[in-house]
Amino acid sequence: MGATEDSYIIQVKDLRKTFHHGRVVALDGISLNVPKGQVTVIIGPSGSGKSTLLRCINYLEEPDSGTVIVDGMVLSEVENINEVRAEIGMVFQQFNLFPHLSVLDNIVLAQRVVRKRSRQEAVEIALDLLKKVGIPEKADAYPGQLSGGQQQRVAIARALAMQPKIMLFDEPTSALDPEMIKEVLDVMLELAREGMTMVVVSHEMGFARNAADRIIFMDAGKIVEDTTPEQLFEAPKEQRTREFLSKILH
Amino acid sequence: MATIESGSDLVGHRLSAAERRDWRFLALFLGALLVLLAYFAPMFPYRIIQATTRFSKGTTIVAHFPVLIYRQHFIQARHPLKEELRDVQVRVAPVGHAGSGWSWLLALWEYPSYIPRLFSYLLVLLWPVLGALGALLFVGQAWFGAKGLPERWIPLTIYLTGLGPLALVLAWFHQFDFSTRLLALAQGSLQPRVGFWLALVGTLVMAFAALALRRETRRAVGNWWILVFVIGVSTWLLVRFKPYPFLEIWDFIYDGILVTLRLVITSFGFILLVSLLGGLGRISRSRLIYGIASLYVEIIRGIPLLVQLLFIWFALPQVFDSFGKLLIALSPALEKVGQWWIDLRLSPFTAAVLGLTICYGAYGSEIFRAGISSIHHGQMEAARSLGMTYFQAMRHIILPQAIRVILPPVGNEFVALLKDSSLVSVLAVSDLTRRGREYMARTFLSFDTWIMVALCYLVLTLFSSRAVEFIEAKTKFEH
Repeated sequence: MGATEDSYIIQVKDLRKTFHHGRVVALDGISLNVPKGQVTVIIGPSGSGKSTLLRCINYLEEPDSGTVIVDGMVLSEVENINEVRAEIGMVFQQFNLFPHLSVLDNIVLAQRVVRKRSRQEAVEIALDLLKKVGIPEKADAYPGQLSGGQQQRVAIARALAMQPKIMLFDEPTSALDPEMIKEVLDVMLELAREGMTMVVVSHEMGFARNAADRIIFMDAGKIVEDTTPEQLFEAPKEQRTREFLSKILH
Repeated sequence: MATIESGSDLVGHRLSAAERRDWRFLALFLGALLVLLAYFAPMFPYRIIQATTRFSKGTTIVAHFPVLIYRQHFIQARHPLKEELRDVQVRVAPVGHAGSGWSWLLALWEYPSYIPRLFSYLLVLLWPVLGALGALLFVGQAWFGAKGLPERWIPLTIYLTGLGPLALVLAWFHQFDFSTRLLALAQGSLQPRVGFWLALVGTLVMAFAALALRRETRRAVGNWWILVFVIGVSTWLLVRFKPYPFLEIWDFIYDGILVTLRLVITSFGFILLVSLLGGLGRISRSRLIYGIASLYVEIIRGIPLLVQLLFIWFALPQVFDSFGKLLIALSPALEKVGQWWIDLRLSPFTAAVLGLTICYGAYGSEIFRAGISSIHHGQMEAARSLGMTYFQAMRHIILPQAIRVILPPVGNEFVALLKDSSLVSVLAVSDLTRRGREYMARTFLSFDTWIMVALCYLVLTLFSSRAVEFIEAKTKFEH
């Protein structure tokens, strides 16, 4: 590859992670470099380590060995992991909105606590983002009063309010009813178009085709295939990839 | 917002002329007017201005208004030793403005120094007026408001007006300090006059009308606050009507109630702190912290509170002593520190707070642990992924949600603590129970003493349970 080491915003080197005292191997020597502005989609069967990889990138999960370098900072050596996390937005399968806070406060709280912004500034940013994700009228509602699709869009706005350099999506549409998937994917497409660096664990092949620069197929804690969407869908190299695709593309 | 669906067709729209003529509105309105007007008519035209109480061996006690109105009965109740009550003479004098309700209220208002002593009198005299004003506001809202019948205020109106008749009767009892003897001595002049009877009719009409409005709302009217009220008023009446021995007991144990409350509230503050720390310790990833917290909880929960209290009070000074001597033996440089430990003595109150805190903190830790663990771990992950520290996430995200889960059992703990605080009476703390024991030791009135002490605890615990329910209802949010 032509890019130098420094132009990668995420560098993962030989990452290993096991659970249950080593009995379950989640990541088995993963290396991965993501340049700035790239949209990467990770697919693979359940238990293949996709989510664990994502959670290692912002250190919600601490790897057993290997290094993660985000924006030039080695995560195992940084003094304050929270500063790094603020630069990495994360969207969860289960939304994980704060049910005791209004939609507006969900987006405002971390800006105030972590970014130390004034209430006024934080509210302005929050309202702008709610407009961007298409639900400005829900600012005063509580998460429990929203549909799944609306909740996930609030979750995206909440992550974006920190003005992160990277966005991680952990199966953002898997918990949604089918008719709500599109509204969330539209927001993600818009983000991709704006040049956000995104790592997305998802089986939405339409999104992968339209927005992804790169698609990674993982199995049993290893990267099996790492290529462009066209290449993967037209002519996958590996037998294991073909089997998997035949199961999910029906 | 959860709204209670209204069962009434008088709610939610401006009322028509026919609907405004509903008899219950008219009755409330006329009853209120009657009460307010009746307060201009003579109500209690005479008052006892002096009472001379004589005992068999010549002890004479003279009481003047207003001491008399709240203490004459008590004077009678307290026989001087080995003397019997011989007779009481009273002087009665007319009150200005023929003793109308308003003039009584004004008189109290002009002498603010009377108010603390005559607070119960002020309250019962004022209550029918408050009921009338409340009823007028209620009816006005129904007649002229855009939303028609203010359905959510019905329970409050029922409470306000329903107690009116009782309050008036108690106001009359106050004229002779609840003493039927004084009433008999000045029967003619102490009889209530027309203003009293008109006001009584007015309050009854209002109460009846307000009760009839009950079927217009689905809100619960008869809740447990009424039980608190009934027990509280019964205790008070017991004291007023049977001052010997109950007023005497009350006077004796009153400071015990304050000590108990101070003890419970102080301990509860520390208990919440210890519980929070213990709870966080029990979910800590650090094995050391988890181990210490678990050891604390397991050991303390296995020892009876009474034994812990006895240990702290009797055995801990010895421990301090030995520790101080050990320090001095170790090094002469530690002489001062050692002497400090040897001299260290806990006051009974401190020892009691310490004992209750250590014991209840262990139970509280388990409650906090369960409450915090009940919040889905995704909440913590979401907060951490936004860059919050562990403690920021706890403070802003986890604890506010856990409070909802924690509050009911913690409220129960408070009530249990209130009751278990009676155990500290073994430590020379003059709490309610100990004062009761002291009174009984002096008089051997075991039944009367313990029924009074039990009633005091009952009022306190019932009141706290209701208060906890109220706070619980306030902390609910949409989920």
